[in-house]
Amino acid sequence: MVAATGLMVGCATPPPADDPDAVAEFKQTNDPLEPMNRAIFAFNSEADTLFLKPVAQAYRAAVPQFGRDRVADFLQNLDEPLVFANDVLQGNGSLALKSLERFALNTSFGVFGIMDVAKPMGIRPHDSDFGQTLAVWGIGAGPYLVLPLFGPSSVRDATGTGAELFADPLDIYLQSRYMDWLVWTRLGANVVSQREAYLDFSDDIQRTSLDYYATIRSLYRQRREGMIDAAKKDVESVPAANRPENDNSH
Amino acid sequence: MIESLRRGFAAIAMVAAILFGASGARADEAAEAASAQSFIRTLADHALVFVNAKTMSNAERSAGFRALFVEAFDIPDIGRFVLGRHWKSASVDQQQDFLKAFEEFTVLTWSTRFKDYSGVSLEVDGASPADEGYLLVESRIVRQQGEPLPVGWRVHKVDGKWKITDILIENVSMALTQRQDFASVIQSSGGTVDGLLTTMHKKIDELRAGQAH
Repeated sequence: MVAATGLMVGCATPPPADDPDAVAEFKQTNDPLEPMNRAIFAFNSEADTLFLKPVAQAYRAAVPQFGRDRVADFLQNLDEPLVFANDVLQGNGSLALKSLERFALNTSFGVFGIMDVAKPMGIRPHDSDFGQTLAVWGIGAGPYLVLPLFGPSSVRDATGTGAELFADPLDIYLQSRYMDWLVWTRLGANVVSQREAYLDFSDDIQRTSLDYYATIRSLYRQRREGMIDAAKKDVESVPAANRPENDNSH
Repeated sequence: MIESLRRGFAAIAMVAAILFGASGARADEAAEAASAQSFIRTLADHALVFVNAKTMSNAERSAGFRALFVEAFDIPDIGRFVLGRHWKSASVDQQQDFLKAFEEFTVLTWSTRFKDYSGVSLEVDGASPADEGYLLVESRIVRQQGEPLPVGWRVHKVDGKWKITDILIENVSMALTQRQDFASVIQSSGGTVDGLLTTMHKKIDELRAGQAH
């Protein structure tokens, strides 16, 4: 009866209070909306199998790696204003400066961003989004959330994603010029480009996990926490592996 | 040649650390760090032989990889961590069944995964103390395309031999991910370890079938 009520409102049933280990695990999992999240996850997986994954596979088959890298670099350069804005909001001056340098170098010498020329110079790209900014401001992640089409998130990160849909500096500019179609084209290109990059990874995880949903939830959480810890740390303590002098990928 | 040079340097570094270390304890620490790094380096060299051997059959690759894996990983330690709070409530038989299934599952997972790793190399960057008794060896997987992937190896010594207890890829812990994956399976099968074992055996069969061709 309790379980049925829980399902109806999309809530997971908390374990009995006299099992402290189980209660601790429930709290740590922090997924009170699990039944609803699993339903949306199943919908997303279906949409992925039917539509997104075939498109990403076709993209991989049609465009060689060099071309796909140029597309990814171009799209990443378009994200740079938003990264810069979030660096500023996080009070991270030196990262903001890096982002600015990257945008200037890549847009000019990199021919509108199609070639990331800043990276070989040691000015490497970094992530910075509004969910991260909220975290740096001290806002906790809140319960796990799976968004339709957008995928794994949390209450805080979903707020960040929502805000970015309206606050992206480039999108605002394009909309002011009545070029909404470009906003949508950019979003679509980003989705396909990123899905292509994750093709092998997602296949591997699906093949080797017992519960795909729980594995993705764990991976997303740990990845986000890692990114947020990195954003909170002083810029000087960039991990050794990311420092240009140790970089021999070029 | 390069490998023997590298080993030579590691040995010199170790000796230097022992001779010139400011204190005995610090020299010990440096020697431990150097020895943990060379453990990971040697392991990677051996593993990459299997990865890059194009003519090897899947069965040969699996057998070679299994021997390497069982030697290098502290399976009881990882298994206990992955089972978490359910380890204590499991019977001794269940614990043994679980460890056996866990070994099989992990060997199959990694030997399948390794086929995709041809052409990569591993660069070991350093080692730092983690929690009590453990060291974290930092490394990067360098691929032909794309960014190098930072990989951390959490190791400790068992009977004088280094053993891996966790792999951290871009700060994501494989052991923690598996613990949360398995916990979810146990929960959905009514809180019993037997439910987990059934699911694991099904997955092992799937992975074997996938490897056969």
